[in-house]
Amino acid sequence: MKRKYLVKKIIQSGVTIFFVLVFNYFLFRVMPGNPLAMIMRNPRASQEAIERTRELFGLNESWYVQFWIYVKQLTKADLGTSFLYRLPVTEVIMARILPTVIMVGLAQVVAMAVGILLGILSAWKRGSRIDVATLSFSLITYSMPTFWLGIILIAVFSVGLRWFPTSGMLTPGQTFASTLDMVKDAALHLVLPVLTLSLVLIGEYTLTMRNTLLDVLTEDYMTTAKAKGFDEKTVIRRHAVPNAMLPMITLIAINLGLVIGGTIQVETIFSWPGLGRLMFDALKARDYPLLQGIFLMITLSVILANLVADITYGYLDPRVKE
Amino acid sequence: MKKTVKIVVALLLAMLLMMGTTGLSGAQETPGVMRIGVTVEIDSLSPLISYSQAGYEVFALLYDSLVMLDDNLEPMPGLATEWTLSDDEQEWTFQLRDDVTWHDGEPFTSADVKFTYELLLENELGMYSGYLGGITSVETPDDYTVIIGTEGPKANMLLNSCPILPEHIWAEIPEAYDTWPNNEPIGTGPYAFAEFRPGEYLKMTANESTFHGRPGIDELIFVLYANTDTMAQSMRLGEIDAATNFSPSQLASLNDESHIEAISAVSLGFTELSFNSWDDASSTSHPLLADFAVRHALEYSLDKQQILDLVYSGQGTVGTSLVPPEGFYHYEPPADILRSYDPDKGNQVLEEAGYVDADGDGVRQAADGTPLEFTLTLRADNADEVQAGQMIAGMAAEVGIKINTETVDDGALIDKIYAGDFDMFIWGWGADLDPTTILNVMTTSQIGNMSDSNYSNETFDRMFMEQQTLMDPEERREMVWEMQQILYEEAPYIILFYDNSLQAVNTDRWTGWKRIPEEGGYFFNLTNYNYLNVTPVGTDSGDATPETAATSGTSVMPFVIIGAVVLIGGVFLLMRKKK
Repeated sequence: MKRKYLVKKIIQSGVTIFFVLVFNYFLFRVMPGNPLAMIMRNPRASQEAIERTRELFGLNESWYVQFWIYVKQLTKADLGTSFLYRLPVTEVIMARILPTVIMVGLAQVVAMAVGILLGILSAWKRGSRIDVATLSFSLITYSMPTFWLGIILIAVFSVGLRWFPTSGMLTPGQTFASTLDMVKDAALHLVLPVLTLSLVLIGEYTLTMRNTLLDVLTEDYMTTAKAKGFDEKTVIRRHAVPNAMLPMITLIAINLGLVIGGTIQVETIFSWPGLGRLMFDALKARDYPLLQGIFLMITLSVILANLVADITYGYLDPRVKE
Repeated sequence: MKKTVKIVVALLLAMLLMMGTTGLSGAQETPGVMRIGVTVEIDSLSPLISYSQAGYEVFALLYDSLVMLDDNLEPMPGLATEWTLSDDEQEWTFQLRDDVTWHDGEPFTSADVKFTYELLLENELGMYSGYLGGITSVETPDDYTVIIGTEGPKANMLLNSCPILPEHIWAEIPEAYDTWPNNEPIGTGPYAFAEFRPGEYLKMTANESTFHGRPGIDELIFVLYANTDTMAQSMRLGEIDAATNFSPSQLASLNDESHIEAISAVSLGFTELSFNSWDDASSTSHPLLADFAVRHALEYSLDKQQILDLVYSGQGTVGTSLVPPEGFYHYEPPADILRSYDPDKGNQVLEEAGYVDADGDGVRQAADGTPLEFTLTLRADNADEVQAGQMIAGMAAEVGIKINTETVDDGALIDKIYAGDFDMFIWGWGADLDPTTILNVMTTSQIGNMSDSNYSNETFDRMFMEQQTLMDPEERREMVWEMQQILYEEAPYIILFYDNSLQAVNTDRWTGWKRIPEEGGYFFNLTNYNYLNVTPVGTDSGDATPETAATSGTSVMPFVIIGAVVLIGGVFLLMRKKK
């Protein structure tokens, strides 16, 4: 792996991040509305309180002064203070990162695993009933509204069968006798959100895998492999799938990068304390520092994921030179 | 590849086995724990930073104020046992309790009161500093007496719910008051802070030595729900013991459950139609809208009850004047000026004012030909308001007024309001027991701040300052009535309805619930009554059983099934991998 290639990629990523930062900063402030709106609509807030808060948020300064302060803070790895929570942005985001990554990450991994397997199965048995069944399943789940699916699952599994709790990450206020108890409680709470999200995501992977694999199956080297005398399973497993995985890696990388952005629908139904809901709340309140912080996280995550994908590509596919 | 699959399957089976053997404990049966579902969580644990209704409710549990409200909404002793007013009505003497301790064990003294009031008067932060307006001095002749001097008579002194903060903590904080988060609040209140997980829940435990008498609730937890459907399901399952602010469509189905009592409570909030009343040159409001006859006619054309029934499932009361009926100061317009649903009268008013439909297109015009055509801006965030607005547009056509609706997001609307760039919009307010809070919104000094109609009337402003000094409630009410009369005549707002608050409680597990006032709610009712008096059903105090291992709501079944699926899947995979 040539060093030059790696360094070039990293510099490219750095430049992208910088542009995204600048763009995000102005993007949010162009929106109509005022971060002080919530205070202003509370009749108990006094005029002085509103003025003091306006000063505190730095909204009195001109736009380039505010931007300069923002850049200076960034160089010190300080994401500023959230308007909504009056806590450091890093603190607010950190509190929600783990729940988001666990739930969305797990759902993505499950969707990937199941989706890829189903895609392989589908392409291999193309035209058969299995293929039709798998395709239908994927398309149906893919087009299901996430919200509706979540509510149905709650109605069936929570209210109807009483197997799982309806919402939240843990039973509220519960003190646990041991870590194992807490893990069990968390696991129970995790099932429905992960199930909902992965069902909706499977379709993407199944269809993509199926398509790429079908393409690969028509290649000349597949005929060679068969001619060599390998049985079907080995042909698929050793020759077809590795080649078909190349485009899948890009898809997987991007989706894993986006995991940190949370998923607002599932988080809303299950009252899951994730970054998706946080983003939405921050947006409604025009909490610029928090929005900028979250977008920065997502940008970094996606760019990092892409970087890793690029490098992995370099290893996996000998045809890719720098 | 085969090896990894085997390992994964083995791990999963081991996990399941562990879970199966150790059993699953349900958590919901612990008797003294009350979980209340809420849709908006507290924004900050610091009374100097928080502006939410959730904050208002929670601070009344963590902290105490000098005076509180009893179940008749009358002032009763809080941290102050008795109070006297000097003859010139400018000096209040409060006697404080001498046996109160902070949650951390330190004794409460008058120094804490002096510190808190002076802190708020100087910094003017938070929702409570406004209540202290007019206070000029706070003296503490001894540890349990406070003498408060005011500029003039202060009518709302006893309605001041300002929480008293501990001096020994707040005087020593490392940061500025407007950024210090107060992450572990220490108060004197009936509940002590236990844990706050933002986005999930806020937990408090009973204060054993509170002067209110130890509450029947051991642990009080506010659980945040992002979705009211899930909250209603949770309520049904018993995962929570109470729910607030769910939607009208869930009211009936919750009431069907025998263990749930769901109510539609009157609240101090209202929804209004606001007109751009700005007489500044930069206001873009339609000039004909400034004619009161047009506003009156519009109100005559509105069948508010029908809007309530269709959009809000009947949960609310038709609106008249600014101060909601739950307050002592509400003004009920007499029959001869009350504008109830009467489209014929509306037409008459417009005819007499000189607006006729000259060209027969159904829309009236002024003498110079300008049609009565206005834009109604609606908030995209609130689907009910949007529907109501569309109904209003339809009803206005009955009297020859054409209304075009546009829907924007909150932020865009706020920008329009401050630029004076609108005709009318729909929004709402929550009022206080003290009318000063809501009357303030209509004063000239609030233009550019809180005023969203940009209304200005000198007589109103003068009366506003005066009513704050009238100590005799009857005298004060006379003045506040006059103020509302002015508002009703000039109509910067058409009050559409007084909102109801939807709440539900579990009556199988808890008893002693009381609605305050009679038609009011169990929570967010300006008192602590239910938090202090509700007790678990069937347990005598001191008999509370420690957590039972009962498995309510969970069972081993799901894991057995998941285990079976994984097992079969694992075996299937293993077999396929073999040649």
